[in-house]
Amino acid sequence: MKLRESGSWREIWKRFRRSAIAMIALVYVVIVALVALFAPVIANTKPLLMRTASGFLFPSAHDFFGEKEGIERLPQGDVVLRAPIPHSPNEIDFNRRLGEPGPNHAFGTDDVGRDVLSRLVHGARVSLTVALLAAAIALLVGSFFGAIAGFYGGWVDWLVSRLIEIVLCFPFLFLVLGIVALFRPSIYTIVIALGITTWTDAARYVRGEIMRIRELEFAHAARASGARDARIIFRHLLPNALAPALVSANFSVAAAILTESALSFLGLGVPLPAPTWGGMLSVAELYIEYAWWLALYPGIAIFTTVAAFNVVGDRFREALDPRG
Amino acid sequence: MSAYLARRVAYAVLTFFGITIVTFTLIHSVPGDPVTFYIGQSGTHGVPPAILQAIRHEYHLDEPLLAQYGWWLRGVLTLDFGPSVIDHRPAMDRILEKLPNTFVLNFIAFALAALAGIPIGLWSASRSGHVFERGSSVVFFLLYSLPSFWVALLLMEFFAVRHTWFPLFGMTSDDYLLMSTTARIADRLQHMVLPALALTYAQLAFYARFTKAALTEVIHQDFITTARAKGVSGTAVMWRHAFRNALLPLVTLLGLTIPYLLSGSVIIETMFQWDGVGHLYLQSLLSRDYPTVLGLSVVTAVVTLFASVLSDVLYALADPRVRVEGKR
Repeated sequence: MKLRESGSWREIWKRFRRSAIAMIALVYVVIVALVALFAPVIANTKPLLMRTASGFLFPSAHDFFGEKEGIERLPQGDVVLRAPIPHSPNEIDFNRRLGEPGPNHAFGTDDVGRDVLSRLVHGARVSLTVALLAAAIALLVGSFFGAIAGFYGGWVDWLVSRLIEIVLCFPFLFLVLGIVALFRPSIYTIVIALGITTWTDAARYVRGEIMRIRELEFAHAARASGARDARIIFRHLLPNALAPALVSANFSVAAAILTESALSFLGLGVPLPAPTWGGMLSVAELYIEYAWWLALYPGIAIFTTVAAFNVVGDRFREALDPRG
Repeated sequence: MSAYLARRVAYAVLTFFGITIVTFTLIHSVPGDPVTFYIGQSGTHGVPPAILQAIRHEYHLDEPLLAQYGWWLRGVLTLDFGPSVIDHRPAMDRILEKLPNTFVLNFIAFALAALAGIPIGLWSASRSGHVFERGSSVVFFLLYSLPSFWVALLLMEFFAVRHTWFPLFGMTSDDYLLMSTTARIADRLQHMVLPALALTYAQLAFYARFTKAALTEVIHQDFITTARAKGVSGTAVMWRHAFRNALLPLVTLLGLTIPYLLSGSVIIETMFQWDGVGHLYLQSLLSRDYPTVLGLSVVTAVVTLFASVLSDVLYALADPRVRVEGKR
């Protein structure tokens, strides 16, 4: 069992790798993820490396564990190495409001003089965190409902289908906005709202796949050896039905990034002062007559990231099913 | 057919109750005293307890939850969601007067997207594997990944700010009332162009992909291979055999589209200050106008439900296989 499984994953990877576009998209996804992960050391007012009387210090590395609000006093000493983008996302300077892109600020500054590039880098963190968590919830909830619907069929399947129909009846953004606004916007409400509104795709994929494989020999073998239903579903069937669900998870991530940015754009997203791509665009709307760079770069960031996830998902699906 | 219809409608009724239960549960799990739903965001502070009690009694908030649901459901069925906390007019009236504006904008976007998207999809599927086709599918994907509000922002920047060809926002100009009838129509159309375009482009990619997928599926079926084997020419196979079958699933597009269009309306109407239900929904959420929020959630969900039943029934009419398969 294990052997065949790893073999098929290798097959999928081999087919996936053949598409140049897929590989470019995958590399881009990895880059964005790395930028998000290392945002505090990539864009920070605090230096990367300092030499003080008591030895070497890494001031910006401390921000990995939550940034502190307000001004922090730096230790005395020499700066050895500055961060690649030497501006924190919330470093305000009214003397350089709406500054055009230039040597000091590659992507310009916003309405209160914050560095756009630095906010983009930190915005990746917010966007990806929200999107990955939301997709994970959607995958968990969807796999669960899809698995029991596909395994038991009958009235369980009927009930799950009705539930999916109900969720799909609400215009997606209406439901998400409603949940987020009524329960006060925060990262957690957004993640939960996105998760419980987007699980339906994963459920449908998993349901179909489980129905296909539940009568295969290994499922019968598991049953014959006396395994309980839960064990058959979650240990034997689900792991073999996960590939199509992972495809849908890729699309969920893309959709979640888009929705999160739309929420932030409408003022119901991750609360300020957290830098978000959508929030940056809502500022851009106010200054659309004066500052094109405010609208351009965050839009490109959202677009390229979403497109990369979509392309990876699409080519992954093709690799799973080379026929169609 | 009538059996299929009856079953579909019965399901729709069940789904409708599901919708009301979901909406009711959501609104009642919001933290805070539900009495604030009715007296607005100022809250209970400083309001005499006797008055609070009276409000609770009037809106049945002192009764068990199930009874409250019953009262609320009665309101839903009679299209009475209570007075808006903003101007104390019935929430339903406020919704109904905005609905036509949303409908006009969405209908235009739907028509434009379908007229352009479906032929593009058919064309690209008929050239499956061709270099242009590979390229076009990538372009669809890229279109799909553009945030609609960013596109709207770029449209505003280019067409309304850089070149003042179209108005930046609003539904009419300031001097609308002074205009002649023809000038009024022109003025309205001018205000419609940018929001309609912004709503259209995402749908366009969706329709093109949907159509292409439908046609591709047909092409892989046996009867196409048979037709080819018989020596029917490539174009004849495409036109006479494949296209006709591929057009069937397009009937379901309407049902699939409406929730997407409505979602898009929230953003686009807000950006362009378009006086429709999407804009109203966001405003009502921000001002915590619960009767309007509830009313709009139910109304939009029911519109979606209705559209999906309609397109399912049309599909069954057009394709007898659906009716039979559903019986299993």
